[in-house]
Amino acid sequence: MSAVLPTARPRRSRPRGVLAPVALLVIVILIAFALVPGLIAPDSPVALNMADRLKPPSFAHLFGTDEGGRDIFSRVVFGTRYSLGVAIAIVFASALFGVVYGAVSGMARGSADNVMMRIVDLFFGFPALVLALAVAASIGRGLGSVALSLTIIWWPGYARLVRGEVLRLRERPHVEAARALGVSNLTILRRHILPFVAQEVNVRVTTDIGYALVAVTALSFLGLGANSPTPEWGLLIRDSRPYFGSAWWYLVFPGTMIMLTATAFSLIGDSLAARRGG
Amino acid sequence: MILSVRDLSIGFRRIGGDLPAVDKISFDVREGETFVIIGESGSGKSLTGMSIAGLQPATSVTSGSIRFKERELLNRPDAELRRMRGREIGLIYQDPLGSLNPVWPVGDQIAEALRAHGLASGAAAARRAVEMLDRVRIPDPARVATAYPHEISGGMRQRAMIAMALIAGPSLLIADEPTTALDVTIKAQMLELLAELQREMALTIILITHDMGVVAEVADRILVMYAGRVAEIGDADAIMRTPSHPYTAALMTSAMISEAEPKQQLNAIVGVAPGLGSFPDGCHFHPRCPLAQDDCRSFVPPLRRLGDVALACHHPVGSDTALMAEA
Repeated sequence: MSAVLPTARPRRSRPRGVLAPVALLVIVILIAFALVPGLIAPDSPVALNMADRLKPPSFAHLFGTDEGGRDIFSRVVFGTRYSLGVAIAIVFASALFGVVYGAVSGMARGSADNVMMRIVDLFFGFPALVLALAVAASIGRGLGSVALSLTIIWWPGYARLVRGEVLRLRERPHVEAARALGVSNLTILRRHILPFVAQEVNVRVTTDIGYALVAVTALSFLGLGANSPTPEWGLLIRDSRPYFGSAWWYLVFPGTMIMLTATAFSLIGDSLAARRGG
Repeated sequence: MILSVRDLSIGFRRIGGDLPAVDKISFDVREGETFVIIGESGSGKSLTGMSIAGLQPATSVTSGSIRFKERELLNRPDAELRRMRGREIGLIYQDPLGSLNPVWPVGDQIAEALRAHGLASGAAAARRAVEMLDRVRIPDPARVATAYPHEISGGMRQRAMIAMALIAGPSLLIADEPTTALDVTIKAQMLELLAELQREMALTIILITHDMGVVAEVADRILVMYAGRVAEIGDADAIMRTPSHPYTAALMTSAMISEAEPKQQLNAIVGVAPGLGSFPDGCHFHPRCPLAQDDCRSFVPPLRRLGDVALACHHPVGSDTALMAEA
């Protein structure tokens, strides 16, 4: 009956419309891996079974077995908790610290802002992975030190993003109007600025989880992260090195998992950014 | 005198000397009156209004004196000014949609001033927000209070902003171009509403505008600003009847012709207002002034009294001048 219906937006020609749900499915599966690995994995991730050493993929062992006869699929499933869990912890800790730091800096302006941002520049000026290596090396090997060192190099990105957003948003008319009512800076930040910063931060967090996962596994691969027999994905790849030539599955499946995970988070981040209108 | 401004100068800090935007202006605002500051964009009128509430840009430098109810406001710590904003001095802006935060319901934002000053909170604040919406003649205030800004009309948003500015009971309201974004009928309603609220709440209003029509409607006294200086100041009727400053006269002529006889050629003021940092020597208006003489180019005219008004002009418009607007 109504003649003037809102015109439908032209369909996106790019395949993002298909990829985003697939990416979401991948993430749901990964979260299931991380939360209830025991219900999904057929075998123990650590128990040795020398009779089945380095067997290729089969129905009994989907991803094959490693040099200790352990089911690689089970190790990958249990490893999700370590690799993805640490990546998420790094990004959340960085975002939390970076948002507070950036918001304080942006609201303070003037010389305090200047000093705070020069400190951020210092962190940016240092090659990230080298800094992480140095930190991890100095406080010792382990997933905890990987998490700490990556958080140290990760938060400045959030601080800079949030500070820029705060500076942009504080000129908005509704912020001016709130200031004209005598609303305090803290309330202005909480009610009139941070709700708008949250959209940007959400996009960044989602995309960053993928990158953080790559960084965590890279440090483990370099021997600074998890200790054997923890089934962390980067460590699996490190352990597979002597068998590159003879047991391709040992390298390929953990590697594919890292790639799939990073891609899935990146795609979801993109679709969030597109929905926000960016 | 509720407000006394003396020698107020506002400049912007820049390497190689500050850029002056407002140059030693003085004026008084009387309790209960509607004081209109009129000028083109770049005249410094908004900057003057904002500085009364201590809301001038952080990069500006100010000097002089702004006394509100016998208290000096200029260059006071922001925390002190913050306690006054909303509670003693209210502000409304040009853009009613932008001035409301899209993520909170209208009533919640109106109650914010009460919470900020510790006057009420929770359900009590919400109830007073609804009462305030009723006072600004919004029909069905309880429903509007729970609506989001995009769900109500432009006129209602403007009313909601007025409610927001007045809920904590300020005695001075500064309205910066409050009618610019509105169409003619809503503009008239808005001015009427402001006049009614002024009577009911014993408000003093400073209205900042570039619209001569608004001036004619509501002004008790007028301050005409041009390029950061006072051109003419005084009783609204006196100035409207016989504008003495050539700039005021030109403003009046263009406004009247465009309203009364739309077919006649628009009598625009020749040239454009000078931008920041390019103010001419002498009288700032001289390059555009039909009556300018040599002294106008080199000497700044002092402000002097002429009947009910004070003006800064070496050669005021005489009664026989062609520029005189016939009302």
